[in-house]
Amino acid sequence: MNPSLLSTVPGHPPAQGRFFVFVQIAMILAIITGLELLIIFLPFPKPLLIGGLVLLSAVKFLFVIFFFMHLRWDKLLLTCVFFIGLVLGGGTLWALVSLFGATASVPLSSLP
Amino acid sequence: MAEAPAKSAFTGHDQPAGAKSFILFRRPTAKTGLVAWLTTVDHKKIGMLYGFFAACFFLLGGVEALLIRTQLLVPNNHFVSAHFYSELFTMHGTTMIFLAVMPLNAAFFNLLVPIQIGARDVAFPRLNAFSLWVFVAGAIILNAGWFLKAGAPAAGWFGYAPLTSKTFTPDISADLWTVGLQVLGVSSIVASLNFIATIVNLRAPGLTMMRLPVFTWMALITSFLIIMAMPSIAIALVEVIFDRHFGTNFFEVSNGGQPILWQHLFWIFGHPEVYILILPAMGYISEILPTFSRRPLFGYPIVVFSGAMIGFIGFGVWSHHMFTTGMGTVATSAFALATMAIAVPTGVKIFNWIGTLWGGHLRMRPPMLFALGFIWLFMMGGFSGVMHSAAPADSQQHNSYFVVAHFHYVLIGGSTFALLAAIHYWFPKFFGRTINEFWGKVSFWVIFVGFNTTFFPMHFLGLNGMPRRTWTYDANMGWNEGNFISSLGAYLLGLGILIYLAAAVWSYFRGEKAGPDPWDARTLEWSIPSPPPEYNFAVIPTVHARDAWWYEKSHPAEIAREKSAHARDEAAHGGIHLPDQSWYPLVAAAGLLTAGLCFAHDNFVGAIAGGAILFAGIYLWSLEGPGGYHVHPETPADAASH
Amino acid sequence: MSSPAATASLDHPLAPPTATGIPNKKILLWAFLASDCMFFGTLISTHLVYRLHPPPGNPVPTQIFNIELTSFSTFILLMSSLMMALAVNAIHRGNLRSMRSSLLVTILFGLIFLGCQVFEFNDFVFDKHVTITNSIFGSTFFTLTGTHGTHVAIGVLWLALMYIRSFKPAGASGGGWVGRAVVHLLVFAATAVLSLYSLYHLVHAVLAGGAAWATVTGFLTADLAPVLGALAGLGALRWLGRAHGPVDFDARNADDVESMGLYWHFVDIVWIVIFTAVYLLEYVFPAAH
Repeated sequence: MNPSLLSTVPGHPPAQGRFFVFVQIAMILAIITGLELLIIFLPFPKPLLIGGLVLLSAVKFLFVIFFFMHLRWDKLLLTCVFFIGLVLGGGTLWALVSLFGATASVPLSSLP
Repeated sequence: MAEAPAKSAFTGHDQPAGAKSFILFRRPTAKTGLVAWLTTVDHKKIGMLYGFFAACFFLLGGVEALLIRTQLLVPNNHFVSAHFYSELFTMHGTTMIFLAVMPLNAAFFNLLVPIQIGARDVAFPRLNAFSLWVFVAGAIILNAGWFLKAGAPAAGWFGYAPLTSKTFTPDISADLWTVGLQVLGVSSIVASLNFIATIVNLRAPGLTMMRLPVFTWMALITSFLIIMAMPSIAIALVEVIFDRHFGTNFFEVSNGGQPILWQHLFWIFGHPEVYILILPAMGYISEILPTFSRRPLFGYPIVVFSGAMIGFIGFGVWSHHMFTTGMGTVATSAFALATMAIAVPTGVKIFNWIGTLWGGHLRMRPPMLFALGFIWLFMMGGFSGVMHSAAPADSQQHNSYFVVAHFHYVLIGGSTFALLAAIHYWFPKFFGRTINEFWGKVSFWVIFVGFNTTFFPMHFLGLNGMPRRTWTYDANMGWNEGNFISSLGAYLLGLGILIYLAAAVWSYFRGEKAGPDPWDARTLEWSIPSPPPEYNFAVIPTVHARDAWWYEKSHPAEIAREKSAHARDEAAHGGIHLPDQSWYPLVAAAGLLTAGLCFAHDNFVGAIAGGAILFAGIYLWSLEGPGGYHVHPETPADAASH
Repeated sequence: MSSPAATASLDHPLAPPTATGIPNKKILLWAFLASDCMFFGTLISTHLVYRLHPPPGNPVPTQIFNIELTSFSTFILLMSSLMMALAVNAIHRGNLRSMRSSLLVTILFGLIFLGCQVFEFNDFVFDKHVTITNSIFGSTFFTLTGTHGTHVAIGVLWLALMYIRSFKPAGASGGGWVGRAVVHLLVFAATAVLSLYSLYHLVHAVLAGGAAWATVTGFLTADLAPVLGALAGLGALRWLGRAHGPVDFDARNADDVESMGLYWHFVDIVWIVIFTAVYLLEYVFPAAH
């Protein structure tokens, strides 16, 4: 396809400017990873730690898909297609963990 | 319509004239004969190949069913051994679902979708061929067991753990089943990715999403369902394969595994799978009813939206197959409610179909008969389904013949009747001849009576306690009459199918010739000759409204002007461009077949060799490029006419 | 990796653009990634489900994990994503040299990630006695991270093939160039394997004998052949990678590189989820679980 395709999406930075955006994001990702490594050793209550880890991972995740993978500058359709998979995958994960976490599902060998 | 193929050296880039690049294999150019079929990338040929293989497997699955029904004809029968009976019901289910109905739907996706959207082929023609040949590979792996000492798979079409573990199925029948299904999964996912790209990107100018034929919409939704559901069974199969070949503990209770996980992962795939089987059927019906009622589809946006809703909610109901496994009150209620909710969009579609018929000028041709049969029989299947959704009632129905009755009403009464309608309806388009009307109607009635005779008694057999998958039953259970009638019905149903097929085959050779639009229909495929030329459309149409062909028929002058203008454009651009044929999809599929068969036999050297062939096939395929050549329809007048 | 105009549907330079304006390959890949979300979702679910009520005797992950190593490999993978994005950016601007070097660094980082995984697996199996067969944790952990590692390996292969493809001479056709490409690939593979092998043994030697010159010289005498092989391979790659005249690869191939980049980034984001769900969360829950 022609290289000027990039410039047909309104409001995106020119290819030169993207270089710096990418590097900055990479630095943010590195810092967040460091933060994650730090907080697991802190004596906060469990729900807070779990919430924090999930949030930090989600931030990394979203940075990569919207910037490195371009979704921010692409047509909305691609974001929708991907999020269908993400929502179904995440929903299935949540449902399975809930199902197996229910009292009725505790295996006999794990009972006290 | 004759065309003068003008083969150019066009490979998309500056090349010396006449130089065609070849990588290992010279690019095939045969238009007839075996090579033409093996290397085709034409969606129409691929669709016919899918249909041909699927029809063969449909017959095989039918034979397996008749053997089952013969075994159950009378109490304590010994027509087949118990183990062979297990192989029969396993392979009947697996064959009908994966090797008959799914590929028949794939056949129609291939044949119809590009033409309905005004395109010349799918987005990735070689990938399309790859899907077909990988399907054949999977079919071979699944059925290889019939020729081996181990025998065919015998653990049920849903292969519950731990029956599929090495402890309980030491022979390779379970390996053939798991590896075969895995390979079929690859075929389905790749084909669906192709159709998503095609439907989204290759629509003719003016064809907005809300002007798409309903069948194409259903194809799109089904493709999304396939790519989202198949990964779950892929993982489940990986876990069983690893347990069997590498000694992992996914379903090994002694080391912390839980077999119930298989059930969850399987049904996370398995439930959307049944919507994968029925949504295309709803698509065919949504095309056929308007044509034979001479009215547009009632409530098009709602029908489309309901289809999407069914697809989406379908991912949230899987544990209704597991109501009796003790998941706890909350989980059971949640899935029961979600299952009841799915009945709503389904019912909405039925009301819309009835709305289409209401006040229409009905023509009772064979496709219409099958379509009307579909509405009624699918509805009955839906009723028994909603009865299942009440978890307490399901405790009685689960694993009984009531379930068998339910799913055959939706899968035969639903999917199969719709497919039979579709074959009748589109036969003239792709073969240029209509199926004999009289014998078509006879086959409908024989099938209808035979089907109901077979499966209606099963509701009562189930409620009276007859369990599924039982080899024999005692004479004092009260099940004798039901089984006897059911088996007689099965023979009648088999006869009906034979009449249908015989009529179709006879008509292929001697049927009345058909023009482009024998039914006075509404969608774009009826605007091109029967059978269609290689390039489908001489001139890519511009779509002005829903039911594009109906609009073209009502506005002939406007359309004629448009077409001659576009024809001049196409000719100025060098003619119609078509992709070249290729050996590599076949080569890559052969690699996957080798790898699968060898792996199932624990032959890792062979598996790696197969993998290497697969990789080489794909790499050379990518280096070969799509290539292409030009075709010129004879005259602009020719091009503009139908 | 096909000829430039192949990025257009049905390959006609004057064919109507796609109905959405998005190239076919891009939409194919995003749909595939959505599907892969379900694939990894169910696999991660399996692992998490089996962590809810582990049987007695199941290994305790926090006693096995080397979180520093895993953090390092996570960081490397994130940086490889950066390099991939830069490679795509470079080819969009038509800068072939920059694209090639970014691709090489991406491949390098991907290989380092794989090397860390190999190290970790060996550590678990031989030192910690956690295998894929002797516990449920071993089964789910190795299958999940192994599947991810396989995705990374496929990505590295794809990157190498794309890199090699960028050397196709303009006007080439037929067997000659393909033969050279295959040689290039084999040299690549051999160099990668020998380099990783050497590095791996060097690391083991240092861990065993401390960071001293004696350790390094000891290692070199023991494992001279693979080290020399790796160096020779690097030299051969240098030679194969020299500019040779005009090539059939430019900004019109950007879509192919971008699609490959999407796959690579996806493999990275799956790792982000795995790092949190499989590694970090274990430290939040009490050990005697």
